[in-house]
This record gives sequence, C-alpha cells and structure tokens, in this order.
Amino acid sequence: MDPFATLGFPPKYDVDLRAVEKTHRELSRALHPDRYASAGASERRAALNKAADVNEAWRIVRDPVRRAEALFALAGVEVGETKEPKPDAELLMEVLEKREALADAKAARDAAKVHALADEMMKREQQVEAALAHAATFDASLVTKLGEMRFYRRFVDEASSILEQLE
Amino acid sequence: MLFEIFDPKAAPKPIGIDLGTTNSLVAYVRNEKPVAIADCNGEILLPSVVSYAHDDVVVGTPAARDAHEHPRETIVSVKRFMGRGADDPETRRLGPYEFDDTKMGESNVVRFRVHGKSLTPVEVSADILRELKTRAEDELGRVGSAVITVPAYFDDAQRQATKDAARLAGLDVLRLLNEPTAAALAYGLQSKQNGHFVVYDLGGGTFDVTVLLLEDGVFQVKSTGGDSQLGGDDMDRAIGSEVLEQLGWIAQDKAKPHSITKHPRLTPAVVRLVLDHARQMKHVLTAEAMVEAEVPLPDGGTRPVRITRARFDELITPLLERTGVASKRAMKDAGLGPAELDGVILVGGATRVPFVRAYVKKLFGKEPLADVDPDQVVALGAAVQADLLAGQGRADEVLLLDVIPLSLGIEVGGGVVDKILPRNTTIPTAARGSYTTQQDNQTGFEIHVVQGEREMVSDCRSLARFTLKGIPPMPSGLARLDVTFRVDADGILSVHAKETTTGLEQTVTVKPTYGLDDETVERMLTEALDFGEEDLTKRRIAEGRVEGQRIMLATQKSLGTDADLLEPGEHVAIQGAMRALDEACSGEDPRKIQSAIDDLDRATKAFAGRRMNRAIARAIGGRKVDDVDHEVEHAKGIEHAHDAPDLGR
Repeated sequence: MDPFATLGFPPKYDVDLRAVEKTHRELSRALHPDRYASAGASERRAALNKAADVNEAWRIVRDPVRRAEALFALAGVEVGETKEPKPDAELLMEVLEKREALADAKAARDAAKVHALADEMMKREQQVEAALAHAATFDASLVTKLGEMRFYRRFVDEASSILEQLE
Repeated sequence: MLFEIFDPKAAPKPIGIDLGTTNSLVAYVRNEKPVAIADCNGEILLPSVVSYAHDDVVVGTPAARDAHEHPRETIVSVKRFMGRGADDPETRRLGPYEFDDTKMGESNVVRFRVHGKSLTPVEVSADILRELKTRAEDELGRVGSAVITVPAYFDDAQRQATKDAARLAGLDVLRLLNEPTAAALAYGLQSKQNGHFVVYDLGGGTFDVTVLLLEDGVFQVKSTGGDSQLGGDDMDRAIGSEVLEQLGWIAQDKAKPHSITKHPRLTPAVVRLVLDHARQMKHVLTAEAMVEAEVPLPDGGTRPVRITRARFDELITPLLERTGVASKRAMKDAGLGPAELDGVILVGGATRVPFVRAYVKKLFGKEPLADVDPDQVVALGAAVQADLLAGQGRADEVLLLDVIPLSLGIEVGGGVVDKILPRNTTIPTAARGSYTTQQDNQTGFEIHVVQGEREMVSDCRSLARFTLKGIPPMPSGLARLDVTFRVDADGILSVHAKETTTGLEQTVTVKPTYGLDDETVERMLTEALDFGEEDLTKRRIAEGRVEGQRIMLATQKSLGTDADLLEPGEHVAIQGAMRALDEACSGEDPRKIQSAIDDLDRATKAFAGRRMNRAIARAIGGRKVDDVDHEVEHAKGIEHAHDAPDLGR
C-alpha cells in the first residue's frame, strides 16, 4: 500500500500534517462503517477495507519514522532493522554514552537531567527530519538516517517513561 | 387520558443500552431527543443483579433483595467477570460464588455453579439484556437493532463476550460503542463547539478516561486509558472493610500488609449485608457530613457504626489516585496539557461523590460538566448513535472515530511481544507483521496473540493461540509468514495468517483464550430459546428474509445513485441475482436464501468497490456531486492505490 496515494498526497517527507489530517477526516466521513450500517454485505466489506487502509495510511504518514520507511519502500530500498546497513561506529558510541547518562540520571532520580537529555535527542531527531525534508530522492545512501532516527525515538520514549515513574 | 396505540406497521425503533456493572438501562430517541425508558414502577435504572434462586430467572430490584438470602445463587456485578478466565486469581476475589472447574476441551471461561447448573457470565448478562429488551418492547411495540456500550478499556475478550450476550438475548447489535464516546454524544457537543474534551467515567466497577477531539462534527478519540477493575464498588468495599473491622468481624494483620484474619462466623450473607449498608452509607455521605448504620455483631445483636465524610474521603483517596495516574497518562498520550482542555465530562454514579468532583477539578484545572444525569448519560448517547446508524438521524453530521485501548501483538522468540497495532490506533484498522521460521524443516508455526503494553508475553493478556500447519520443510529463515490483524469498528480483532513463499494460504480460525467459541454460543442459543429444530428453521427463515429485503433495498438505492459506474453486462447480472433472491425469500428454505444473498454479494462486489472509490475521490477532492465524469475517471485511476488485499471473509 502506498499511504500517500491512499490519502491523495504527493510522496514526499515534507508534508502538511494539518492538511493530511483534514483529508483523513473527510475520508473517514465518507468511508466509516457507520455510514454503511444498512448497506449490502459487499459494500459494507468494501467500506471496512478502505476505511482500514485510510486509517493505516494516516498512522504511517503522521509518524516521522514510518513516513520515512514508506518513502524508502516506495523507492525500492529495503527497510527494516535487520536489512539496513549498520549505523557508523561513532554514532553507536555516542548513543551508548547517552544511554549510560540516562541510566545514571534515572538512578539519581534527577528529572531535570532526564529532561535535558531527552530534549537534546529530540533536537537531533528534528535535524534528521530536516535533512530528509530536503532530500531529492530516497536512495540507499540515506537509509542510515532511518536507524539514527529510531535510536533517538527510542531514547525519547524511554526518557518519558522514566519521567512518568519519577513524577 | 390518552392511550398510545402501537402501529403494527411502524418501523422497529433502534435502542441504546448501557449494560453497566451496577445498573443497566435502555433508551431511545423520541422527537429527536434521547429518553430513558422506565419500567412499570417508573424505575429507570435496572440493578444488574440476576437471581437463579427460584424456578424463574429474576432480574433487577427483586433479585437484589434475594442477594442476602441466596448470595451464591444471585449474581451481582457480572460485568466484572466478562471475558475472564476461570483460572484468573481476580475471579475468586470478586464475590461469594462457587465455580465450576474448566473441563478438558472447554473454553477457559468463568462458570458459576448455581443449583447444580453451570452458568457463564455471557448467559447472566444475556438475562439482563433480555429484561431490558422486554422493557423496551412494552414501551415501543417493536424494537429494532441495538447499540450496546462497553468501557473503552474493555479488551477484545470482554467485547466479544458482550456481543455474545446480546446474540443470546436475541438482540441485533448495530455497534458496540465506547461509553465515554457515548457520553460526549449525549451532551450534543457536536452542535456547540470544537475542542478537546476529557470524559472521566467512574462507574460501578470500571474506570475510564478518554481524551476526545471534536472538530466539525467528527469525534476523534485521541487516547484512552483506565482500569477495568476500579469503581464505585471499590468505595463500598473500602467502607465495608472499615465497618467489618470496627465490629471485629475482620482484623488486619499488622506484620503482613493485605493479610486479614476473618472471624469464624463471617458468612457470605454477612459480607453482602455489610456491603449493602456500605453502599447506602456512601449515598448518604454524598449529601451529609456523617452517617450511622446498624450492623450485626459476631456474637449476636447489632451495634451502630459511624463514618464521617472526612474518613470516607480518606478511605477513597488511594482509589482516586489510581484514576489520577491513568488520567495523566491519557493526557500525555494525546499530547495535551491541562491548559489546552476545553471541557471535562463526568460519567458514572460514583462521580456524584463531592470529593470525586473536587479531585477531578484539581486534576484537570477545570470545573467539570455534569448537567446530564451521570447514571443515564451513556445510555442516552447510545440511543443517539443507534438512531444515527439505523438511518433515522442525520448520519453525515456526526461521526465517531474510536481507537483500540491496548496494543495488540504476537509472541516472537524469547517470550517477547512484537506489537502489530499500538494502542490508540484509530479503528477500523488492519496491519501486517512478517515472520520466519527459527528451525530447519519447521512445518508448523505457533501464533500466540496477546494484548497489552509490556514487552514480555508473560506480562500481557493472552487473547488467542493457533497453529499454522503444513509449511513444506525448508531451511530456517526461508519461510515467510504474514500475519494480518484486523480490528473492526466494534474494536473486535480477527487474525489471519499465510505462508507466502510457497503460496500456501491458510485462514485460521482463532480459538479465543478467554471466551466462548461459536458452536458453544450457538448451542446456548438453541437451549435458551427452548426451540425444537422446526422453530429454529422458522427463525432462520424470518431472519434471512429480513436480511434479504434489506440488501435488495440497499442495492436498489446504490444502482439508482451510481448507475454510471456499471460495466456493460453488470447491471443485468445484478438484476438477475436480485430476482433470484426475491424468489428465495418467498420460499421456505433458509439455506437457499443465504446462498442467494451470497450470490448477490458476489455480483455487486466490483460495483461496490467502484462506489467506494468514488466516495474516496469526492472526499479527497472535496468535489461537488455534479462533477461526475471526472470522478469516474479518478475513481478508476486510484483503483490501484486502493486495491489492498481484500481482508473480508
């Protein structure tokens, strides 16, 4: 499934999420099974399948990592953590250090430090996003960006669950 | 005095049902306004209590009176048992009941042992639904399909159990609707304003918190959370424990927290009586600063027990703090701060407690809305939705976009969960995961479906297990298994698996871990109806005719609006299938009706797909209805993009 085509948008990273959300809403209004409650079985099934596609497409497009994955897949580049080339050693080292710092901050119950680390990683993720937004094509040379983004994302998720525990 | 006379030809009226832990009720829309239906005594709330102590099944207030004398034969708060396994430790905690052990080959569901009979929660709930259906029929003459509400936090097994209960009670379910969404609908917010709303629902046995975004008539659930084992009953239990302790019925062991010593004469009847007192005391404390009750002592006689509002507030604080944690998480999931909230809606009788209102106000920094009766608001919303779905309301004005409350995934190596659908995904939805074999020449693949947020399978809830067999022997890692999860608009999951490298395709029926399989429900249905073969056939014919008529009408309508989308020859084929169905409907063979329905279904499949593409084209382009030519072109152009694998049967 091409999530961009499903929602009627050109396949690029830099999308207007508000506009996509509005389209998703209009599509839901047209396709939601509630609208076909008294229709025949073939129509109910067709509506259910399309509504599911539209929801899935919106879930992909609004998520920065999934959106990038979809664009690589459309360009014929294999994605998925086991199929992508390993990120470079320098980045791995740095991520390892940051993770240790996060673990230390958690052990010290230092919420401010956890916040600061999460903010830093969030900024890094935004830089990757900006780079992808300017990419002309999604070829294999860019695919390491995906792994990088997943690192940041996982880090931020972990930080926020630590904050939940600390607060 | 005027009597209303039933018009026998009047269309059956759709109804909305709130199947609650403590109370249940039914409502419908009259003159564009939802109203709750009272029984002949003017009572709107039907206590969700069913007594099997006598020859006839008794439901409601009289059953509640039975609870003292026959605590084991009277099932209270059955909703808490829905979708639970017999081996679940919570099950034993939930009341004075006796249970049957699960026999080999039986589904793992709770079975109450009542008078030598075995009863599942589904059957008990069906008895409550039957009572409500009768009440609605007395008021409306003919009752149509129903919308039944469930807590947003209900998992798949609990939803399925609710649907099974409705089927057993002879109700046609239009939709399972999440209670908070129903409440928002009852407030008619769609006609008033856009914005973010929180629904804080503290019912008898469940707590739900939901963040909704309302924009241009679309209610979109942003996040939902809660606790399916927390509610007003726990307040009663907190007061009850306090009372039992004050009178020396139980003693807390200081050394071991949560361990209590019971007085040898403490019987289930005493516990029941004290809990009833506790509930009344809670109600009094809603208005008064202090309450007193006469409760029996272990050595005979009674003694008054006194509880102040301050002590009550203290007792329920830990419960409210649990609602606070869930609320904060839901707000975070929705990406909202308290300042961005436009309103808070209170649902559930327990929100009448002043301390709860004060707590909610503090939690969200907003005075909560409470002008619709919190006990009725859910049923009223369900009635509005039923009216919309049955095509009697203006369906294009309101749309509810709900989400799945818990992540769904499957077990992979090392007991780890691979999440296929994360929580708060908008439904209906479908997603696929790809897996491979771990051993050489592995010919079977066990699929274990789980629900929950944790990473390990052992911390999640098991929904179903099944094995895909017949994979040809090949080296490990070569077989490719695609597992598709599909969640419908009721929030109910179905799973399909296929092995793609060899083209081996298997659709596997999921045997629910906690629930009844189709045959069991079917057998219960036959038993409950006390029907012979012949009666059952008659019922099937009648059902087939209704379904057939409905489909012919719908097809006629589609042909009328979108005739230009028909391919040459298609119209003739559809007309032929309709004539055949019409003939089958005037016959007496239910199987013929069903096969004619299936034939018409096949004949209209491609046409239905094109109609859907037109609907998509209109929605994407925001075009007007008269721009037809362009649409036909566009509908065909995007056919490819939308031709995802057919997930239907």
